[in-house]
Amino acid sequence: METNTIVSSGLDLQASFIDALQGLGLSSSTARLIWLPLPMLTVLVAAVVGVLVNVWLERKISAAVQQRIGPEYAGPLGVLQPMADGLKLVFKEDIIPARADGLLFTLGPVLVLVPVILSWLVVPFGQNLLISNVGIGIFLWISLSSIQPIGLLMSGYASNNKYSLLGGLRAAAQSISYEIPLALAVLAIVMMSNSLSTVDIVAQQNTAGILSWNIWRQPVGFVIFWICALAECERLPFDLPEAEEELVAGYQTEYSGMKFALFYLGSYINLVLSALLVSVLYLGGWGFPVPVEWLAGLLGQSVDAPLVQVITGSLGIVMTVLKAYLLVFFAILLRWTVPRVRIDQLLDLGWKFLLPIALVNLLVTAALKLAFPVAFGG
Amino acid sequence: MFGFLKKVGDYTKDAVSAAQTLSQGLSVTFDHLRRRPITVQYPYEKLIPSERYRGRIHYEFDKCIACEVCVRVCPINLPVVDWVMNKATKKKELRNYSIDFGVCIFCGNCVEYCPTNCLSMTEEYELSAFDRHSLNYDNVALGRLPTSVTSDPSVFPLRELAYLPKGVMDPHGVPATHPRAGKLPEQVLETLAKPSTPVEPGDQPQ
Amino acid sequence: MTIASTTQQICFLVLAATTVLGALGVVLLPNIVYSAFLLGGVFLSVAGLYLLLNASFVAAAQVLVYVGAVNVLILFAIMLVNKREDLSAIPGLLLRRVLSGTVCAGLFALLLRVAFTTRWALPGPLPVGEDATIRIGEHLFSDYLLPFELASVLLLMAMIGAIVLARRDVFASDVITGEPVDQGLIEKARSPMLLERGDTSPNPSSPLVETSR
Repeated sequence: METNTIVSSGLDLQASFIDALQGLGLSSSTARLIWLPLPMLTVLVAAVVGVLVNVWLERKISAAVQQRIGPEYAGPLGVLQPMADGLKLVFKEDIIPARADGLLFTLGPVLVLVPVILSWLVVPFGQNLLISNVGIGIFLWISLSSIQPIGLLMSGYASNNKYSLLGGLRAAAQSISYEIPLALAVLAIVMMSNSLSTVDIVAQQNTAGILSWNIWRQPVGFVIFWICALAECERLPFDLPEAEEELVAGYQTEYSGMKFALFYLGSYINLVLSALLVSVLYLGGWGFPVPVEWLAGLLGQSVDAPLVQVITGSLGIVMTVLKAYLLVFFAILLRWTVPRVRIDQLLDLGWKFLLPIALVNLLVTAALKLAFPVAFGG
Repeated sequence: MFGFLKKVGDYTKDAVSAAQTLSQGLSVTFDHLRRRPITVQYPYEKLIPSERYRGRIHYEFDKCIACEVCVRVCPINLPVVDWVMNKATKKKELRNYSIDFGVCIFCGNCVEYCPTNCLSMTEEYELSAFDRHSLNYDNVALGRLPTSVTSDPSVFPLRELAYLPKGVMDPHGVPATHPRAGKLPEQVLETLAKPSTPVEPGDQPQ
Repeated sequence: MTIASTTQQICFLVLAATTVLGALGVVLLPNIVYSAFLLGGVFLSVAGLYLLLNASFVAAAQVLVYVGAVNVLILFAIMLVNKREDLSAIPGLLLRRVLSGTVCAGLFALLLRVAFTTRWALPGPLPVGEDATIRIGEHLFSDYLLPFELASVLLLMAMIGAIVLARRDVFASDVITGEPVDQGLIEKARSPMLLERGDTSPNPSSPLVETSR
């Protein structure tokens, strides 16, 4: 756990928690040790709950788009349906095909899921509300997400099934070719904020509320990033690694039970994570459309007052999650709007369209930064 | 140089038109979000089959003369007519009659050609069974009348779209007394000039 | 000993063991796919060692470049040509193994000697931590500019070479009918459309048609 380099006004749960424990007579290092696993557990739980919400939204929105009702018997409005799905997967028999490679077969889904969960390390929900404000921030996410193709190739190979192998190869090809425009889009943002840290990126966007969000300065980057994020998550216009009509279920074909659940969980956590990162990079993260300081000043409250701090903290979490789920909604809507692209169209889009545009975007950003250092973070 | 600029222009035009098409598609799906679901909650609600619905075939043993026309017009000679010649009366004596609904395609040819009208189509379509052999109906099973959707107390009958009043899209909560859109067959007949041959009025739809 | 230093020690031991054992596995395992996956593991544990040295940017770059690109490409190559067949016996395999083993052992002894005779400055320079990113950038664009640019030129050459090797020249029109062919999707492998490199005989259609039969 690193202490934040920029100590500014805002909730610092870590400090208050350790202070409280020391007040109970514990030593400083013990208190830190007790604090250590708490944020990680919280974020893990948050990620899983986010996935449950996501699955429910996916079912309900898909149903609404197709004029169906969707789940409605498991709990009010079917909110318990994802739980039922998860339970079913937990209790299903875990099958390893006879001619498959058992070790790699088991390791594959783990390698897919773990990097995605590790990436939650850098997702900020507030000034101090993140597990670790590491200096390389967003770069950590990019490098971690490049481990995923190995897991996909591994499970595709270990299944000893031609559909699985093809699906794994497609997934890996797709994710390495969309990583480049993605990284270039992120680079343009990093150039403007002069920092890789997600906290700095958000802080730089929250000077004038909605007007200072990066989406106005990087509209092209926003589109590139979102397209690439959808491709990395294998969401529908780009879900050809698991194209049902051609590859049965791609690299997941031979999986069942908990191992399949890991893939399922991984893809949904990845979607939520991508949406969160879009909101962090382009939509002002935890920022309210109107600056909170300005609002507090209007109400005659000090920004440092404890109550105001708690309110701004929770508002930040709500805003981040709200923005992320708006994007998830958009992704689900897109799923039922556009047809799946072919593999050649996919690679064309990645290499011939997004990559040049991302490069031009980067150059233009650099030029604008030199020309108008005030507006583009000089 | 100029050619390159034109290329860039075309490229941009393509991208813009793609974005336009995409947003058009998104607006269509978004519009669907506010529409009511058209779901029929099946075991509790059922659509009323239309008048000419070709469901399970009903058969009257007593009317049958064992002429085997149904077998001949059947695309796969499906009905099994089991009869013996009674030497004393010199007449066919029908012993058994069966149709296998696991194989039948419900084309209705047998019903169409039956000279004594002993075959007819019902509105029954729930023919699921645990064993495909139990779909081979004998003359007793063929003689049973299905429970009508409208008379089943455990089922909420719903009208199909074509039988709803004008402008109504949702069959839920439409009273049975409200007439369907358009004219009934007998109303159409009234508007016509005197028909040369008397025509029976069509069935009253729900 | 504080908790932090103990943790660091344990992490170092685990990472070092994974690196060494993984590297041995890469070399010694008969199954090439296992070797490739183990190589990924070795790269990852090396990235972990960088992290222990407080060089987080280098660690992330190691993961991105070596695991995310190099190892994935190696796996790709293996899986695209993987036929699951036994290799034919190589004559004198034992001798070859002994020879390469000797060379490796000699290299290892050399490295050990270097490691033991060098006077390492202990403790080393203070880690720069988060500033490392900026420092790397400054170095890359000042005193290491030439190697940096040379490396990119080398990569460009490799790329061009790959394109030349992989590309097959395709006629814009069908050889037999003379009609323009949509090359976007229709199979490029259809032989009448193909012209071998250097095969510029005055009558190009006849040998190609023959080869296609």
